[in-house]
Amino acid sequence: MKRADDLKIGERAVIKDVDNSHPSSHRILEIGFTPGQEIELLNCSAFNDPLAFAIRGTIIAIRKKEAHCIHV
Amino acid sequence: MYSRINNKDKKAPLITLVGPPNSGKTTLYNYLSGKKSKTVNYPGSTVNYSVSKILSKHEINADILDSPGIISLIPTSPDERVSVDTLYKHPKYGHPDIVIVTVDASQLSRHLYLVKQMMESNFNLIVVVTMIDILKRNGKDIDIIKLSAILGCCVVKFDGRNADGIKHLLEKTRDKIVAIQKEEIILPVAKFQIDRDKLLLSYKQIEEIEEEVIIDNNNRRNGQLDISSINDNLVVLNNRRAFVKPDARTLKLDKVFLHKYWGLAIFFIAMSVVFTAIFWIAQPFMDWINTGFENLSSFTGELLGENLFSDLVSGGLIPGLGSVLVFLPQILILFFILELLEDSGYLARGAMLVDKPLSKIGLNGRSFVPMLSGFACAIPATMAARTIANKKERFLTIFILPLMSCSARIPVYALLVAFLTPKDKPYLGGIFFTLIYLFSIVSSLIIAAIANKFRDRIVKEKEDSSFIIELPAYRKPKVWINTKHAYKNAIQYVKKAGPVILILSLVLWVLTTFPNFDPSIPDADKLSAEEVSSAKNSERLAGSYAAMMGRFIEPVMKPMGMDWRIGVSLVATFAAREVFVSSLALIFKVTDDDEDTHNSLLTAMKEAKFEDTGQKLFTASTIIGLVVFFVFAMQCLSTTAIARKETGGWKIPILQIVVFTALAYAFTVVVVNGLKAVGVS
Ligand SMILES: Nc1nc2c(ncn2[C@@H]2O[C@H](COP(=O)(O)OP(=O)(O)O)[C@@H](O)[C@H]2O)c(=O)[nH]1
Ligand SMILES: [Mg+2]
Repeated sequence: MKRADDLKIGERAVIKDVDNSHPSSHRILEIGFTPGQEIELLNCSAFNDPLAFAIRGTIIAIRKKEAHCIHV
Repeated sequence: MYSRINNKDKKAPLITLVGPPNSGKTTLYNYLSGKKSKTVNYPGSTVNYSVSKILSKHEINADILDSPGIISLIPTSPDERVSVDTLYKHPKYGHPDIVIVTVDASQLSRHLYLVKQMMESNFNLIVVVTMIDILKRNGKDIDIIKLSAILGCCVVKFDGRNADGIKHLLEKTRDKIVAIQKEEIILPVAKFQIDRDKLLLSYKQIEEIEEEVIIDNNNRRNGQLDISSINDNLVVLNNRRAFVKPDARTLKLDKVFLHKYWGLAIFFIAMSVVFTAIFWIAQPFMDWINTGFENLSSFTGELLGENLFSDLVSGGLIPGLGSVLVFLPQILILFFILELLEDSGYLARGAMLVDKPLSKIGLNGRSFVPMLSGFACAIPATMAARTIANKKERFLTIFILPLMSCSARIPVYALLVAFLTPKDKPYLGGIFFTLIYLFSIVSSLIIAAIANKFRDRIVKEKEDSSFIIELPAYRKPKVWINTKHAYKNAIQYVKKAGPVILILSLVLWVLTTFPNFDPSIPDADKLSAEEVSSAKNSERLAGSYAAMMGRFIEPVMKPMGMDWRIGVSLVATFAAREVFVSSLALIFKVTDDDEDTHNSLLTAMKEAKFEDTGQKLFTASTIIGLVVFFVFAMQCLSTTAIARKETGGWKIPILQIVVFTALAYAFTVVVVNGLKAVGVS
């Protein structure tokens, strides 16, 4: 199953689900990463982590670990 | 019936401003509030509430409160908790009568999430929609009346660039204030809770609202339907939301600033420029202030003659005042740069860039802003650590903040570097300074890495570390407003730190002057007046309380290659570092000749000798030792106080004092003796 941290830069995908078990999952949902929402991976930092996503008209940077719990 | 809860003495109504980060709260607050804001939020971000009376010209008698950004009523970090707590009950101002929520029109779906929670919790709301200009730039518009009808609450437009719409907002506010005088107050639901299903449902409803109120003019170009955007909208039917592109200019700039390799290079260059700028720009101003106060001191000294009062003014009060003001330029410049970086939208990106390396040593990308502020002053920096959700990371950040080279150290380093710098090679001074900064940054990171090994013993809570940050759209910084803010912050800072330092200087003056303030000099008649005065000065000091204390700690100073006089100055610095220079000047009794005092203090230091052996007291090795001491030692009572407050206990501040002072002492002993062993004088 593909997850948000598998995306390539410039690639868009629709969120299918967010892992319930991840401790930050509630925050991730709250900030707008909800199922059905389309996101695009914009940038990643020099250390490949964190990743910056375009979502709902803004840009949000999250760690790889957090992106990993977003199924696309 | 009129029933105000907890406010029997009919205080002015309280209006609280809340909203997601970067939605325009502080901008609105600045338009509404009077000049006298009670709390100053240092640059970087809003991490504390500020309260002010609404500007009298707006004709509303109410307090307005600005708060840190929140995205929901369930806080995850202490700065968010400040906001949520003030919404329910502020310890001093009570419960807000009206809550103004700011909402960014270009991010309606995300920002309405908070509005929805607040409506469900029965807050008395006014929704303020900002950034409509940005929405319009993207070829869209918003139907405020419809939004108001759907939400069933008061919604107004506001343009943060020119305060358009403020009249309407004030009208609505006045109406509400009249209304609450009549109605019975419904207290908000005390605790908001939301589970996953409700959250998702909430977002669904918000998305529907967004569909209704956002007017997309892009669909119709020149009266014709644009097929491609129709396709984009069709996806909604497939249970998929249309993708809204972020600000185009921001995307372009991020291609550079967040470029995989260039991004980091730019970051390092930017940081180097910041620090060089601070040093090179601030230095001449600091020199002026120094010289100015020294001249003033010698002038008043001559004016008032030889007496105790004259000595108090010219030897205690004026140098004390000078030592407060001398680092004003540096604080000002650093605050200004921070403000500029924050306003432009770069700080959040800086935090993202360093998150990975910092998380390796137990810190967080969000430690970046506190650490950067720490170069101005550890006090606002410690408060800025509130944005770090994870307790271990927050405590570790607060722990190492005193190691950032704060501006109080600059006058000290300036003196010490001046001592080391040969007259014919002035450029070495800048290099020495840079080396000191690099040394302090590297050692603070190493200490963080080591302290990180013990973190489980200090903080028991097991929390997951996370880094979720919004990268706001790049904005052209408003230089004038930033300058004003920086100025206001710096003044506020001096007002806070000033009295402490001034009192310390006076205490120090008392300790170095009494009890033997008028010693009798044998054979005084054979000496010139000048000789008598200088002999009296040294006798007075030798018999002073400071000398008694100094001799007591002399055994501790010996291994560092220093004597009791430096010891007294160092003891004084444990209350505040910046008194070092003035206390040295006091102790080495700079007699004012034609030369300005900075030079004569240097001369006095160069001539000072150990009282027993007659060897030179200040040598290259002791000076370098002193630099090392100041890099590590925890010498600031205000930082201790704020660290206690922010960590809610004595553990961290006591650890800071013990660990950093022990390190400072040990390293100084090693460095001084090591240098001597390899032949440095
Ligand atoms: N273009 C535009 N910018 C705005 C508007 N309102 C605020 N801003 C800018 O948005 C940025 C964030 O505003 P601020 O008040 O600090 O947001 P806060 O985090 O909610 O306190 C600042 O640079 C403001 O100048 C607006 O209506 N239009
Ligand atoms: Mg703010």
